[in-house]
Amino acid sequence: MELRPIPVKRNTIVLGTVLFILAVFAWAGWANFEYRKQAHERLLAMTPQGEMAANPAGGAPQYVTPLQGKPAPAFTLEDLSGEKRSLASYKGKAVLINFWATWCAPCKIETPWLIELRNQYAAQGFEVLGISMDDIDRGDPQKLSDEKRQIARFVQQEQMPYPVLIDADSLSTPYGGLDSLPASFFVDRNGIVVAAQLGLTSKAEIEANIRKALGN
Amino acid sequence: MMIAAKSGMWIAIALAGLLAQAQSPNLLTHSTLKPAAVEFLYPEQINVPAGKATTITLHFRIAPGLHINSHTPKVDELIPTSLSIPEDSGVRLEGAVYPPGAEFTLPLDPRTKLSVYSGEFTIQARIVAAAGDHLVEARLRYQACDNSACMPPRTMTAAIDVLAK
Repeated sequence: MELRPIPVKRNTIVLGTVLFILAVFAWAGWANFEYRKQAHERLLAMTPQGEMAANPAGGAPQYVTPLQGKPAPAFTLEDLSGEKRSLASYKGKAVLINFWATWCAPCKIETPWLIELRNQYAAQGFEVLGISMDDIDRGDPQKLSDEKRQIARFVQQEQMPYPVLIDADSLSTPYGGLDSLPASFFVDRNGIVVAAQLGLTSKAEIEANIRKALGN
Repeated sequence: MMIAAKSGMWIAIALAGLLAQAQSPNLLTHSTLKPAAVEFLYPEQINVPAGKATTITLHFRIAPGLHINSHTPKVDELIPTSLSIPEDSGVRLEGAVYPPGAEFTLPLDPRTKLSVYSGEFTIQARIVAAAGDHLVEARLRYQACDNSACMPPRTMTAAIDVLAK
């Protein structure tokens, strides 16, 4: 009687190869997941994120920025006339960097306070830099013109006497996300952030932080 | 055994596809996004007569503690809530009726009256759909604030399966 060979060996090799491929894919998936997790953690670590914390003196929670005590991130932005202005050129002055937008109702409330305080403390070496976070579309000249006109109208209506800079998307990450407005950073004469505020607070609180930046 | 081997090959191919998807950089980006201020509730699916104007009611919910500008905010610069439907979706938005906003003042400025939505609200959308099934991604543009701060304007998508016969 002739015995026919059973094709087990070939099937075993195919199955083994498939299992090996599956194992490689599983390993690659796990390695990829770990890589992306670490990349995400690195990204978060690089991005200073501020947070609201309980006020030790009681009252409303305070905004705590990781920039506190550190040099204010440098920037050079255009003002509404197209002139470039950099934070570095204000060294020696105390500066309030105020992020705002035309669509932000609380920003509109605090603007008159900023103007009054700026005029009150300008002689001591204090300046406000208003940074508009309104969208700027440089790819469309008509849109860009409309957007600039809208910001300029707000500046004119509110009679803002200080420089207003635009197209500041690049500052979101170094200044802690800027997920909501208004947001203010108080910088002393050496360029160090000494206080920060998120959201509408009060004129008294803004003034206290200006005095801190001035070293009064 | 051959069947098992073939099945294994297909599983391997499917896993390769999943792996390629997992390497998409979008996943990393999405994981860093904050939850939206506005959520679309329903309807997920509607039946309408093809070619005839029909009014549907879209339900939305705003996150607690937040409000968004109404369709007619009282201050010029504020961004109104508005609904749109992409032109190539097979469904045309003929018009929308928005609820009136509730009067609202910020605690630090009682003089300025704002018109806002909070909690749940609905929009009556008048649509005309071509015959067929359309997965419509309606867009709601809004701008949200709480009592002291505002978030940038956003556009959210409300996915609705429109079955027109």
